[in-house]
Amino acid sequence: MVVGGGVAGVQAALDLTELGYYVYLVEKSAAVGGAMAQLDKTFPTNDCSL
Amino acid sequence: MRPRYIDADKCTACGLCTKYCPRHLVDQYNEGLAITRPIHIDYPQAVPATYFIDPEACLYLKHGVCQICVCTCQSKAIDFSQKPEEKELSVGAVIVAPGFGRIPDETLAKYSYGQHADVVTSLEFERLLCASGPFEGELKCLSDRRHPKRIAFIQCVGSRDLGCDNGYCSSVCCMYAIKEAMVAKEHDPSVDITIYYMDMRTQGKGFDAAQKKAQAMGIKFVRAKVADVMPWEKNLKLTFSTMDGSHGFEPYDMVVLSVGLDAPADARNLARIAGFELNNYDFCKTETFAPLLTTKPGVFVAGAFQGPKDIPESVTQSSAAAGLVSGLVMKDRGKALVHKSYPEEKKIEDEEVRIGVFVCHCGINIGSVVDVPSVEKYTDGMEGVVYHAQSLYSCSQDAQEVIKEKIREHKLNRIVVAACSPRTHEPLFQETLKDAGLNRCLFEMVNIRDHCSWVHANEPEAATRKSMDLVRMGIAKARHIQPLPEQTVPVTDKALVLGAGVAGLTAALTLAEQGFHTYVIEKEDKVGGHLQHLAYTLQGEKVSTVLSDLADKVKKNKKIEVFTNSELTAVSGFVGNFSSVVANRKGKSTSEMTIDHGVIIVATGGREHRPELVLGNQIKYSDAIVTQRELEQRLAGKGKVKAPKSVVMVQCAGSRGDDLNYCSKVCCSHAVKNALKIKELDPASQVVVLYRDMRTYGYAEDAYREAREKGVVFIPYSLDNKPVIKGSGKKMTVTFHDPILREEVSMNPELIALSVGIVPEGTEELSKLLKIPVNEDKFYLEAHVKLRPVELPVSGVYVCGLAHSPKPVDEIIVQAQAAAAKASIPLVKGCVSVEPTVSSVDKEECIGCGLCESLCPYQAIRIVKDENGKRKAETITASCKGCGICASHCPVFAISMGGFTDEQITAQITAFGETKEA
Amino acid sequence: MSKNDFNPRILGFLCNWCCYAAADSAGVSRYQYPPNLRTIRVMCTGRLDAAFVLRGFAEGADGIFTGG
Repeated sequence: MVVGGGVAGVQAALDLTELGYYVYLVEKSAAVGGAMAQLDKTFPTNDCSL
Repeated sequence: MRPRYIDADKCTACGLCTKYCPRHLVDQYNEGLAITRPIHIDYPQAVPATYFIDPEACLYLKHGVCQICVCTCQSKAIDFSQKPEEKELSVGAVIVAPGFGRIPDETLAKYSYGQHADVVTSLEFERLLCASGPFEGELKCLSDRRHPKRIAFIQCVGSRDLGCDNGYCSSVCCMYAIKEAMVAKEHDPSVDITIYYMDMRTQGKGFDAAQKKAQAMGIKFVRAKVADVMPWEKNLKLTFSTMDGSHGFEPYDMVVLSVGLDAPADARNLARIAGFELNNYDFCKTETFAPLLTTKPGVFVAGAFQGPKDIPESVTQSSAAAGLVSGLVMKDRGKALVHKSYPEEKKIEDEEVRIGVFVCHCGINIGSVVDVPSVEKYTDGMEGVVYHAQSLYSCSQDAQEVIKEKIREHKLNRIVVAACSPRTHEPLFQETLKDAGLNRCLFEMVNIRDHCSWVHANEPEAATRKSMDLVRMGIAKARHIQPLPEQTVPVTDKALVLGAGVAGLTAALTLAEQGFHTYVIEKEDKVGGHLQHLAYTLQGEKVSTVLSDLADKVKKNKKIEVFTNSELTAVSGFVGNFSSVVANRKGKSTSEMTIDHGVIIVATGGREHRPELVLGNQIKYSDAIVTQRELEQRLAGKGKVKAPKSVVMVQCAGSRGDDLNYCSKVCCSHAVKNALKIKELDPASQVVVLYRDMRTYGYAEDAYREAREKGVVFIPYSLDNKPVIKGSGKKMTVTFHDPILREEVSMNPELIALSVGIVPEGTEELSKLLKIPVNEDKFYLEAHVKLRPVELPVSGVYVCGLAHSPKPVDEIIVQAQAAAAKASIPLVKGCVSVEPTVSSVDKEECIGCGLCESLCPYQAIRIVKDENGKRKAETITASCKGCGICASHCPVFAISMGGFTDEQITAQITAFGETKEA
Repeated sequence: MSKNDFNPRILGFLCNWCCYAAADSAGVSRYQYPPNLRTIRVMCTGRLDAAFVLRGFAEGADGIFTGG
């Protein structure tokens, strides 16, 4: 079980799935993404965060 | 589980309900700067792409009236009968990653936050800059919608501040302030921006370079404490005091508060439920050498809740936590897995070509330069094009649904997306094609962002014309693309780790604990690497005990084989099937062995840099002039250790432009650690630290504060006023400028300790051997700085430790665990898929001349005899890299490259020649 | 025609692994260069057949660029 669906939680859940486990991802809000989804761009590539 | 009041299977995310919902609601996603409705979705790319109803704001759920949404929803997705549910889950391990909380408004009040609309937090500013933000990316003051001409950033708001109980440094604010300032400058080059700071903590990889770039763009950096911000007619008045005690004030249109990362609001609750302890700042309590273990076995932590940190470190911790969990619950691996299924692939061979073109705005990234509507219109009527459209973000979840829908609706059998780079986004769209029942190779991507809008930002017309040309060429190729079969090759489920320092050993252990046989090769005659030179940590743990424990665990693990005095001399193969030659020295003789393995972890480490020239001073190392590492060994020596009576420590000795161009991240903490040790041994010792920016980020800030309290004197120097070191041995003088006294000061210290940087060990040779890139500072360059921090661009090769960049031991351990976790993914899967871009031979046409076999640089094509005894070429799919040398040299055009056939390339060239005017 | 009016049409063949990647990085770093190039991505410049170059000229290219 992963508690929190921000970038950390989502990455952990994805990696665990790839490693062959069934994962429950628990997130308080209506969508995953957390604070990173609010960022406009990220350094250094200034890629869109989404 | 709280209900959404919307059936996720039925909701198409069309947005009609939000349009008709009569009630207004403050938009939390936009930091309260915009208005939404109780029934809404945070942003179009949200996953899951299902709307939801805020029960606290909904008129029906609160007052029993309305239900307008129910009649507007075409797909009947709204379901007010949903109730909160409780579920009991039985799990083998828990990873807590609740992130961070926000700094309370009281802390921000002294800067007029809440009283004046143009004082905003950095996160609010982020939304203001964003194309999907409240002003669609146009930078405006919230008070009267004017364009701000002068903007100030205030650093350390809610961090490094005992006044709000946050003594730590939030680690990310300096860098994000620089980023936001640079983006604001991109929006409006004439805007005047000043960043008020105490220390610029840009210790991350490549961050110092970004600060230099910001300075070159005209962004000003002022070392000053901001006393307050007050409304001043239409503007804001910012009062500050500098190091020398003088005060000043400046008017600004907008003030951005670089707010720190607080502990999550419900940290205590979560800790109580899960049964683990918190530290004194309400973040999760962990140890230096076990950074991801909470005090409760089976519960792991990752991300900002472990301590304030940036995205790459968070992502690394997550992968590492996944690796640790994988070792813990190994017996359940592969159970309960659900495999994704795709609809059966549609046969399109007999169909006419039906191309769908999607042109992306990428927010403002493309749309602000290239005239996207014209590019879209341009494709109208082109041969084979039966559908064309634009999208704001073609990579978003909702856009994928649109593509799938259009494939069905218009019976599309080729898709062209004009957006960003196929190198990053092709897999995403190919997945969408598979979901829609198309072979993933029926896809062509046109790069109108990286190769167009971004590089021709000042020539919108030319950029639009170029986009049109590229799209026309892409469509020409698309007419000729054909479905290609998927191929997989088996994996050798063993790993090779290069280097047996703390990174290599930790990685090996994490792999072995997941059940994979691991070879570790080490150049030196014993394991331990750079860490052997350290005695104790900032938190006081003894390093040698921990290191010997680790070495012991590795030694006892039957799945790990360590080879010392060994070096890698050759590597062949590819992910899943590497074959390496290792030279092993025994005395004067050298023997060679070959190891087969599926993955490689590079943990080759780094070493102390010993500059001859420090800040313009010629250095002769002696008993009196030492590095911090040597000082540490001396202070930790056996028997009674005497502390020096007076010490001058010089930070950034040989770093940050002096000799090395980068910041080594650990030297500031190292100096503080040694300074504290000296004060512990002899409180009367005089310790002066000359620094540029004290970069004791995270909890190391506590130690920095403690050192100041214990009387260690910290004095900043600037590059135009460097400290001067003269003499040697017992007659040394250090002269420096004291900004508080405002005069030159000379000292005759007993000892000078230089805080020198870290350089990577032998990366240039290995980068040639493994064909992996290094950056300008000779550290390995990861696949993606933010999101793939431990993977290298060559698949199956991973990096951790000092070879990646300088970093403290806790970060090295996490990175090693993360690299091991990532490396075990192909080993767990047991096979890797080969890209369909490999060569294939038309046996009918082949004349068996053997030219291809002799030319192939990868030995991936060979001549075999067919059933009639005739010589024919044959591709060894697993080794083929798809370079196409065979195809371009075949005298009878018998070899074809998947996705890059003669026909397709020729079509592109022909399309280049057609100049259809828009 | 003066030197300044010359506005060549250049056709480029870019290797996916290096030159195409470099062109991506140029974009990421916002380097500005003249908009005269039209590119074709190949998995390696080894894929280039001399015929491609000749055809490019025949189609009106003023220059052919290969990056690999």
